[in-house]
Amino acid sequence: MKNKSTLPWVFLTPAMVVLAVLALVPTVCAIVISFEDRELSRPDGNFVGFDNYLALFSDRRFVNAITVSLSWEVITVGFTMLIAVGLGILLFECVSPRTRKILALLFIVPVVLPRVSAAFVWKFAFHPLYGIATYPYKAITGQPLDLLSNPLTALGTVALVDVWQWGLFFSVIVLKLLETLPPQPFEAARLDHARTWEVYTYVALPMLKAPLISLAFVKMIESLRAFDLIYVMTRGGPGISTETLDMYAFSQGFIESGRISYASGMAVLMMIATSLAFTVIWKRAKI
Amino acid sequence: MKDLKALVSSIAIACALASSASSIAAAAQCTDTIRVIAQPRDGLTLLENYKDEFAKLSGGADFQIDYLNENDRRAKTKADASTIGKYNVYYIDEANVALFAKSGWVAPLADYYPADYDYADFDPGRQKVATYDGKVWFAPLTGGGDLMVYRKDLLEAAGIKPPTTLDEYVAAIKALHQPDKGIYGTALRGQRGSGANVWRWMPYFKGFGGNWFDGDKPVFDGDAAVKATETYLEIFKYSAPGSQTGGWDEAVGAFTSGQVALLIESTPLVGMALDPKASQVADKIGYLPPPTPLTGGGYGHGLAIGTKANKTEEAKQCAGLFIAWATSKENEQRRLDEGQFSELNRTSVMTSPKFAERYGPDLGQALADTGKVTAVNFWQNASWPDLGDRWGIILEELITGTRTDVKEGLDELNGFATDLVARSQ
Repeated sequence: MKNKSTLPWVFLTPAMVVLAVLALVPTVCAIVISFEDRELSRPDGNFVGFDNYLALFSDRRFVNAITVSLSWEVITVGFTMLIAVGLGILLFECVSPRTRKILALLFIVPVVLPRVSAAFVWKFAFHPLYGIATYPYKAITGQPLDLLSNPLTALGTVALVDVWQWGLFFSVIVLKLLETLPPQPFEAARLDHARTWEVYTYVALPMLKAPLISLAFVKMIESLRAFDLIYVMTRGGPGISTETLDMYAFSQGFIESGRISYASGMAVLMMIATSLAFTVIWKRAKI
Repeated sequence: MKDLKALVSSIAIACALASSASSIAAAAQCTDTIRVIAQPRDGLTLLENYKDEFAKLSGGADFQIDYLNENDRRAKTKADASTIGKYNVYYIDEANVALFAKSGWVAPLADYYPADYDYADFDPGRQKVATYDGKVWFAPLTGGGDLMVYRKDLLEAAGIKPPTTLDEYVAAIKALHQPDKGIYGTALRGQRGSGANVWRWMPYFKGFGGNWFDGDKPVFDGDAAVKATETYLEIFKYSAPGSQTGGWDEAVGAFTSGQVALLIESTPLVGMALDPKASQVADKIGYLPPPTPLTGGGYGHGLAIGTKANKTEEAKQCAGLFIAWATSKENEQRRLDEGQFSELNRTSVMTSPKFAERYGPDLGQALADTGKVTAVNFWQNASWPDLGDRWGIILEELITGTRTDVKEGLDELNGFATDLVARSQ
């Protein structure tokens, strides 16, 4: 009995120690630094209480970054899931098993590409003068199309690349999930004269609720780490129209000012906000 | 004949290196790998072909260069120098030399630069931007001012004389702007950054009589800055697509691919525009100093000795020896042989018969003329990157139309500058 109660600790302790060193130490450091006025060019810092946090809320770039980050999450998660479910059903419904395997292989390629490489490839593809993606528009209208320099289209264009990488990959996962479902509920629904869209809306997708919510969570976490994609394609521009919270924090910490305490304040707020948001969403999802 | 010249040149370089090596090798005994962080430069890539030479000179040391583009290099060097200090040699530039020197992240170069390598031979303008607080901090790899490069064929066809004043320049780019034919009046830099859009905006600001600070008091928020910004935004209407969020690469790429009529850019542009391998318009270009009243943006990039990775005097000497060798007359001669125009910094090389033979007398004259209007346009202070980058973002917002009020943008920068000065004291 004693062995049974101690065994979990034997397995858990090494992992918890590693986690404590890798996650807890930097987190505590970030919290401590956020209450100081440290800058990269100065070795010492003074305790300034909540000054950094108060300054953040009167900083228009920080407020803008919150809006951009939220928009980015909604656009990328929403469209990725839509593409994944739509394409997954289409493959399951209309494509032969042999062709599905070939397409599944092709659809995995974008997500295997290193993020930075994908970003560079698409950045060149969207170039208004030489880009292959903008060439048809230029050929038809005679005018160049500069999507990444337009504040109205820049975020959507970068999001397109993100959805291209993850939407196709998730569609393969949805396809494989559909293939694992038992055929009887589908047959029963069709015997009741359900249309195809009704079969998927009322039978298949409810059966896949738990894995689909898990996929959405994976994508939400992944979208929070889209720094490299945005950094390569727009650097937060034009202006600050694609500047997400992590990009602004990095910019304040290392590119522009070296204000690591101010940047740490942002990181701490991001950590609190994402922990709270994810906890609430997870509880509400009731998988 | 060409082979013979190359052979003679190689023997001369070998003799020169052997003689300098003999005097320095006695003092130097470096065996570790010297780690360098830099931005891509043809001259540095060329150095990697001569690693054996440096090993022999130093007593067995090797070197390893990590390359990052300009903005990333700036961020990475700042982060490295202020934290772990992994690199022995940093690639720094005119914009952050004050920050690196004031923070103690680099060592005074003159203390470790062997006298045999003749630092005084570098172009005086580049020595000036490498100097902060009376001390020299880096040895130049590239630098210079601005030149206006234009398409002779387009100007002649339109009956336009090469502009010498700003009014003529603006009139010319408006007249030559024909997007339907794939020709754009000019190409500016819109990308945020003290070394990007702000760099190209500053000649207008200084040319219109603007100043950054009077002591600790910001004085830039005035008519000169408003006029400079409005002029910059006006010219942007005739700038090539992609330049609104582009930098040097986009502007120069648009010109060398034959899509731009007139371009004012840093002097290395000429070397690229004249190189038939890199330029589709190599035989169609002319060059002049920037039109009055624009000043040229004096700049310099080079190698400096890191203090954290070089804890001992011996380590600093080894780093100094590497920098001296990398920027030596012999290596610069090799760059001239390879046609690396933008990597030439020494007076002795730029005034040599070989330089005149390769690039013609006109370029030498244009460089001399532009030297007269080259100025230090930025605020020579450790906080300059902060201020310049902040203005870069506001300027990018104005260029791309996410904000429209120039004065409001300058007022915001003024508030930031006041806070910046207060924080740095």
